[in-house]
Amino acid sequence: MSRRKFLGLAGAAGASALIGSSAHSASNKHFEGYPNSFGVLHDITLCVGCRSCEAACNRVNELPQPDVSFSDVSVLEQKRRTSSDAFTVVNKHANLKNSKVPIFNKIQCNHCLEPACASVCFVKAFKKTEQGPVLYDPSVCVGCRYCMVACPFDIPTYEYDKAFTPRVRKCTLCYPRIIEGLLPGCVESCPTGALKFGKRDDLIKIARDRISKKPEKYIEHIYGEHEMGGTSWLYLSGVPFKQLGMREDLGIKPAPEYTAGALSGVPIVVGLWPVLLTGIYAMTKRKEKVADLEKKECVKEAIEKEKADANAKLAKAMEKAETDKKTAIDKAVKKALEEASKAKVEG
Amino acid sequence: MKAKHIKWGAIFALLPIAFLFYGMIVFGGQKYEGSTQNCFTDGILINGLAAFGKLERPEVLFLHDKHTDALEKKNKDCLTCHVKDKNNNLSIKFKRIENVSKDEVMDIYHLNCINCHNEMSASGDKSGPVTCGECHRDKVEESLCRAPIEIDKSLHGRHSKAYENKCETCHHEYNPETKKLFYEKGKESSCRYCHKDKTEENRMSMSMAAHTQCVNCHKKNIEEQKTAGPIKCSGCHDAKKQQLISKLDTIPRLERKQPDAALIKNNSPELATRMNFVPFDHKAHEEYNDTCRVCHHESLNECTKCHTLLGIKEGSNVSLESSMHTKKEKSSCIGCHEAKQKDKQCIGCHTFDSSRKKSSEDYCAKCHMSVPAQGTFTEEKDMSNFLLISRKLTTDSYNAEEIPEKVVMKDLVDKYEQAEMPHRKIVEYFEKSINSNKLSGYFHKDKNTVCNGCHHNSTSSVKPTRCGNCHGKPLAESENLDKPVLMTAYHGLCIGCHKEMELGKATGCADCHKERKKWWNNSVNR
Amino acid sequence: MSSETIESRKTYLNAFNICAGMIVLIGLFVTFLRFTGGLAKVTNLSNYNPWGIWIGFDLLAGVALAAGGYVTSAAVYIFGMKKYHSAVRPAVLTGFLGYSLVVIALSYDVGRPWRLPYPFIIQQGTTSLLFEVAACVALYLTVLFLEFSPAALEWLGLKKARSLAVKLTMVLTIFGVILSTLHQSSLGALFLIVPSKLHPLWYSPYLPIFFFVSSIIAGLSMVIFESSLSHKHFAYKMDETHLKEKDDITLGFGKAASLVLAGYFTIKVIGVSVANNWSLIATPYGLWFLVEMLGFVALPCFLYAIGVREKKVTLIRWTALWTVIGIVVNRLNISLVAFNWHLPSSERYFPHWMEIVISVFLLTVGIIAFRFIVTKMPILYEHPEYKDEH
Repeated sequence: MSRRKFLGLAGAAGASALIGSSAHSASNKHFEGYPNSFGVLHDITLCVGCRSCEAACNRVNELPQPDVSFSDVSVLEQKRRTSSDAFTVVNKHANLKNSKVPIFNKIQCNHCLEPACASVCFVKAFKKTEQGPVLYDPSVCVGCRYCMVACPFDIPTYEYDKAFTPRVRKCTLCYPRIIEGLLPGCVESCPTGALKFGKRDDLIKIARDRISKKPEKYIEHIYGEHEMGGTSWLYLSGVPFKQLGMREDLGIKPAPEYTAGALSGVPIVVGLWPVLLTGIYAMTKRKEKVADLEKKECVKEAIEKEKADANAKLAKAMEKAETDKKTAIDKAVKKALEEASKAKVEG
Repeated sequence: MKAKHIKWGAIFALLPIAFLFYGMIVFGGQKYEGSTQNCFTDGILINGLAAFGKLERPEVLFLHDKHTDALEKKNKDCLTCHVKDKNNNLSIKFKRIENVSKDEVMDIYHLNCINCHNEMSASGDKSGPVTCGECHRDKVEESLCRAPIEIDKSLHGRHSKAYENKCETCHHEYNPETKKLFYEKGKESSCRYCHKDKTEENRMSMSMAAHTQCVNCHKKNIEEQKTAGPIKCSGCHDAKKQQLISKLDTIPRLERKQPDAALIKNNSPELATRMNFVPFDHKAHEEYNDTCRVCHHESLNECTKCHTLLGIKEGSNVSLESSMHTKKEKSSCIGCHEAKQKDKQCIGCHTFDSSRKKSSEDYCAKCHMSVPAQGTFTEEKDMSNFLLISRKLTTDSYNAEEIPEKVVMKDLVDKYEQAEMPHRKIVEYFEKSINSNKLSGYFHKDKNTVCNGCHHNSTSSVKPTRCGNCHGKPLAESENLDKPVLMTAYHGLCIGCHKEMELGKATGCADCHKERKKWWNNSVNR
Repeated sequence: MSSETIESRKTYLNAFNICAGMIVLIGLFVTFLRFTGGLAKVTNLSNYNPWGIWIGFDLLAGVALAAGGYVTSAAVYIFGMKKYHSAVRPAVLTGFLGYSLVVIALSYDVGRPWRLPYPFIIQQGTTSLLFEVAACVALYLTVLFLEFSPAALEWLGLKKARSLAVKLTMVLTIFGVILSTLHQSSLGALFLIVPSKLHPLWYSPYLPIFFFVSSIIAGLSMVIFESSLSHKHFAYKMDETHLKEKDDITLGFGKAASLVLAGYFTIKVIGVSVANNWSLIATPYGLWFLVEMLGFVALPCFLYAIGVREKKVTLIRWTALWTVIGIVVNRLNISLVAFNWHLPSSERYFPHWMEIVISVFLLTVGIIAFRFIVTKMPILYEHPEYKDEH
């Protein structure tokens, strides 16, 4: 590859990169969630770690019965996460403010307004419903598990042990129940009101109200209001969320925005590459042709020059031959004349 | 053939090596937040050069006690590192009295530290670092855990007793003209009023003043073989050792000619008549607090000197009204009183905001008491005393038989059996703790106040409204979006109170009611 | 080539065959376990770590290393570097086999492989970069098949079909470059969605560009590496042109690889600078990043340059191998080492031995297929009937 060609290629790649990134930042659409969609407000300060929500979730979703009964709270001593048999779990955290009162936090699918799982699924198995829940359709799922990779909250789980019908498993926000007008299982069973179901907009108002009424009890942050572009599940806490194993560094950008730039690069490559490549091909061809032509011309010229040279040589030779001839004649004439005069003298 | 084997061997050997690195990276050298680091009470950040501009290298963490101990073993004393000033006091600076020039200060540290460390290691002893990076490390301030110490009334009392009430031993004034310290009886106040965080011109920082004074004095006492205070860092600055400092049984009052009872009033004659004055029990409040600075935060003057009606520059433009009523400020009356609501025995009720009704006229009049007819008292303190004595400091109560002994909650029996609450026991507990304290006794005068802790919004009577009258079923429309449903109301009240008061009981379901075995087993989906 | 050498290869019980046979047997056994017992039986995949080495090595590294096909055919047909013509067929074959193996590996990895066509026939998740990858890989596999078909058709003696396939060369090459650009970069873009999970030193909005540029490096190095192996083992199959052009290819591709590596190093540095992540260099992950950047990018760039300058063909070949390993390391870093870096080590992933068995098994199958095709079809030589017909 010549230097010029390499630079050409590199330049082309660079150009597409630039276009890609500018298109990305130029996106001005901002989805604020479906109006009147539902959500749940989890007030962490009220949770007492009774595991009623876990039991209700298990019952409502008809999940296999666990080895340890739900009334046994000793399991809280260990950090747990969602699994294909448990769509929600409660974890216990040390309270740095007051070690006598531990903090309990429930985890489950946060039902993002613009879910990463739905954005990365290549068969559209995930759907954000207008009611709020993010639903999964096992009938089309191929099982690539990109949703699990993409989820910033590490929520979706997989039935790795099934050979023929493995599914992604996660909380549905009890979609079948809420369209019937019932509360999600966990919310209904929560004895302390740590979980509150309602319209997301109302829940944000309630959360703000609680913070302003008791600024000493809450930190001024509604987790989920803006995280990853906002989630249907919202959280209030008395200690920084970081201490509860919740990530505060996720940013407020919805997941799909991270890939928008790369996706907008596709039409650019598809549109420009053929033109560019054909152009380069044509240039190469032309260069070869020109080189060919030049070569031919060169040969022609050389031949002509040779010819001219030969002619000149011939002419010179001819001339020389003429002169020689003349001299010879002159000589002969002279000789004859001399001989004649000699003969004259003698004779 | 052999060479080929070696090459293939090399290729297959490289992949496991890559995996090995992978393992090392993933499973080795993980560092987590919250890992308990060593923390030092005797840590001093050496930043002597900061006086000459921005530091080029990070501050050095110097462990003072560690050095003191090491020198003691070598029979060396403080003079190894510290020099004496003209008053025969040790300078708290290292090997110098004043900062002369940047280079000189730098040399003092580098030469002396490194030389000593070298000598120590030459003599085979455990020694300190000698290279730049070992001392100048990043983020060393994170490993400090020095607990600040304050001269509280007990500690002050012990010192005045030891020095036979010779206040001039420590207290002094400064004459800017002669540039000399002098003592004036009756002007003693907190050190902090003059000695601020940083040294300014010829006014020492609090830290320097305290260390020069305290440590030198303690040291002299040790030399004279008297009882003496600590001279090592940990003696004062270790949180655990602070607990060991003995307290006086009876703490003497700090005498500065302050009144026993004062009348808090604004200093504007025109407005004086419009707001009732507040009688203030100064003597009692002295007992509640450790230092004068809790209220007198800038000087030992009357509040109204700086906090005028509209506020002046000297009082940071804080008006008299704000200075007394700002909730978040602990030096304000209401700020301090509200902070008391956080006490374990109070917070149970005070965690519910609905139990506070304070917009009433009655509420203001608790402090702004109506004044008896003018001219009755010639002296302010007499009027103040009269008002203070006239207060009733205990709560009224229903007769025991009027209070239900037990309350059974059976509205929601479903998954669990009904719960039984020892109602009278709880009421009596609260009445007792209210009456144990003058502040709470005075503010909970009415016999319904204690009822309202739980029966909030209910009419004041022996038969309050049932909880279910207001708290409905889930999903019911309500004007107040945040109104809890009945189950939440019950649990929120009981568990909330138990949790806040750290009573321990009633945190698990089975603490209050039994599980209904039948329901669980025969449930539809089981 | 003397006839004696050919004779000696007729023995089937040589070391290679025994080894390969064993691997294939174990591989088939694990395959059986995988498809009857589910992923949990043979992998260490978990809910925190949904992707293991079948994605990190077989897919990400596999696709990058199969980039030789588009790089070589672009160089020869589009940029007109005729002197490398003899490298095209082996490179296209490597690419074709590589992509086939990627698809096979994916069938092991996904939960329900029989549904792999679903994204095309049931519902198209067009917002997913994985959809783009899937579409491009499927199309490119077809392109590679067609590009490879003349060799097979020559072997089968189907002249008409062969001449039709040859006529398509130019179109296929351009199509191949487009598809490769798209999916090579999209494999990097797969990780754009996880800024919170991928270590900041590896995460960058430029990931697609990093992947595309490094795939060129992988392609060039793979051609050099593969040609040196072919020369060692199948020299008897090569014709004069091949043998003559062999060193030219090594030098030319080595030079190109050196240049692209230099460019790659620069954009990686720019990536770290733009995100201002220099402070992270002094952490364990930072050291590992340095190892990758200096040991597997800067070092081969330098060695290639020396090799080209001093015309040391052997050095270039070893560098090619080192670079190939470097690409594998890079892909593993992004998909496994630097992924989920914030999790405690008890929740991290390390491959199960059976996962490694499957990867080795597929690699072996690839080598066997390559060997079979190279010995049967006109890959390393020009078919005598079609000589002088470019």
